[in-house]
Amino acid sequence: MIKKLRSRGSKLRRRVAGLLALGFALMSVGVLYSAFAPQAPVAQAQGDSAQVRQGELVYNKTCISCHGANLEGVTDRGPSLIGIGEASVYFQTATGRMPAVRQEAQAERKPPKLSPEEIDQVSAFVQAHGGGTTLPKESGSQLVGDNPARGGELFRLNCASCHNFTGRGGALSSGKYAPALDGVTETEIYAAMLTGPQNMPKFSDRQLTPEEKKDIVAYVKSVTDGNNNPGGNPIGGLGPQSEGLIAFIVGIAALVGITLWIGAKA
Amino acid sequence: MSSTNPPELPSEEELAAMSREDLVRLGAKLDGVEFIEYPDPWPVKGTRAEKRAERLVALWFLIAAAAGLAFVGIFLFWPSAYTAPGTDGYTLYSLYTPLIGATLGLSVLAVGVGALLYTKKFIPHEVAVQDRHDGGSSELDKATIVAELSDAGNRSTIARRSLIKRTAGLGAGAMGLGVGVFALGGLVRDPWAQTDSENSLWHTGWKSDNGERVYLRRATGDPEEVALVKPSDLDAGGMETVFPFRESERKDHEALSKALKRSDNPVMLIRLRPEDGRKVIKHQGQEDFNYGDYYAYTKICSHLGCPTSLYEQRTNRILCPCHQSQFNALEYCKPIFGPATRKLAQLPIAVDEETGYLYARSDFTEPVGPAFWERKS
Repeated sequence: MIKKLRSRGSKLRRRVAGLLALGFALMSVGVLYSAFAPQAPVAQAQGDSAQVRQGELVYNKTCISCHGANLEGVTDRGPSLIGIGEASVYFQTATGRMPAVRQEAQAERKPPKLSPEEIDQVSAFVQAHGGGTTLPKESGSQLVGDNPARGGELFRLNCASCHNFTGRGGALSSGKYAPALDGVTETEIYAAMLTGPQNMPKFSDRQLTPEEKKDIVAYVKSVTDGNNNPGGNPIGGLGPQSEGLIAFIVGIAALVGITLWIGAKA
Repeated sequence: MSSTNPPELPSEEELAAMSREDLVRLGAKLDGVEFIEYPDPWPVKGTRAEKRAERLVALWFLIAAAAGLAFVGIFLFWPSAYTAPGTDGYTLYSLYTPLIGATLGLSVLAVGVGALLYTKKFIPHEVAVQDRHDGGSSELDKATIVAELSDAGNRSTIARRSLIKRTAGLGAGAMGLGVGVFALGGLVRDPWAQTDSENSLWHTGWKSDNGERVYLRRATGDPEEVALVKPSDLDAGGMETVFPFRESERKDHEALSKALKRSDNPVMLIRLRPEDGRKVIKHQGQEDFNYGDYYAYTKICSHLGCPTSLYEQRTNRILCPCHQSQFNALEYCKPIFGPATRKLAQLPIAVDEETGYLYARSDFTEPVGPAFWERKS
């Protein structure tokens, strides 16, 4: 009996010891795994949590199919959004480029699909996952600098090679293009310079200071939306070629007409 | 004139007795001209029609005067300083150019219309007939003029003075040679002649003659402002145009401004995105020309020298807008499309240990821009 009891006791002890050993082994493997396994590139949510949660709902509705459940991107569909920041999300959604219609050389500007509130929410959601470039505190006309002349110099040096010197836009390689800058808000121009959407290079605040960016915005605003149109028709806004051709054709026709009229009267 | 009979000339008394109209007709007749019609446009003086015509002409001259004065006033006093759209006074400013054009144009036009109207309304429209001269000169005229010319040549004795003839030929020839050299000499340039000068085709403004360090400088719109470039300045996927700067030029306004304008100076400083930076294929012998993800290539297209700065940060292509040449920034900027056949020259860059600014370790190791005869590569 005693033997029996003892044997039962030792059995129990062996069982408990085995369980403990298994638990210890599992735990150490887990600790080792977490120590050696690569960190998943998913950052933790931070910021205004209600806004972020709303943003997650918008994201899951509109963005998830191309950018993945954890913003990690989907091969051949959309890039990872981790670390792109709210300025980039704002530019892409406010100009209607995202959500994109289809895969093509370049997403086009179109009326925005998301409401301004939804844009704010999804921007907060993406910003909360990996951070990135933020929008300036000012917006709208506060982003228009007071020296459009310097803005013009900087625009011609940094922007005009693609966007044309009065913001008419131009062709790039393989079907891509730099868009015309008509009808673009100040915040969108500023966000585009900061984030370098699609194939546009990025211009950080250390490269072009916020003041220089505002001057560039002032210059763009002064030559787009019909502001550089004193003759009534911009004739393409391409400079002396088209203007000279039209002046030549119209002017010569007028001179010939007047000459004929004088000849007929004499 | 010799074929027609000359009109009878009046005697001195007759001439003194002639009226002005007679003199006019006589003068015309001596030139072989005869008036058929020479009507006074207003035979009855002081009619209302004549007064109306006079007032019409005067009106146009008054318009010219008013428009001219308006031009002067607008030119002097209208607000002409640049005003950005959407700010106060933009409407007034935007009217400045159209107004000075319209007023001065109207003034010129009104003077012309007034003069034209005066001619039409008040100058008589005469009908006159003039004799036509037929055939060449008479035999007499021809023979005498030839004799006069050959006589003058003979009397100058040039035909037998060979010393003067030869020295004159020599002097005029040497003078012509001088004029020809003066006109063409400036157009002839031998790229071989100054292989060490930064002004030759072989070198650029990045060449340092005395070993002084040449830093990378950005343009801020103010040539006096010196802004150097640090590796932390550009975001990944950024591009910036940089120009050479030497510390000895810091106070030299002309040199500071000239560095931004020299045609072979602009350099594209590109910071590749890290995932692209790992894919870079470097050119043999230029493995250490970059600094991390920073690569500096000349902005001058190797085809015809256009500014090839259309950098696409996702595809890492550099496009030249003139003839659509494309260069691959991930493969030492070798041409991958279009008429360009040579890569863009790469500038070797490094970071100054003390200040942390980027500088050019040397000039480009090959000429930038289009080909020339003596270039072998």
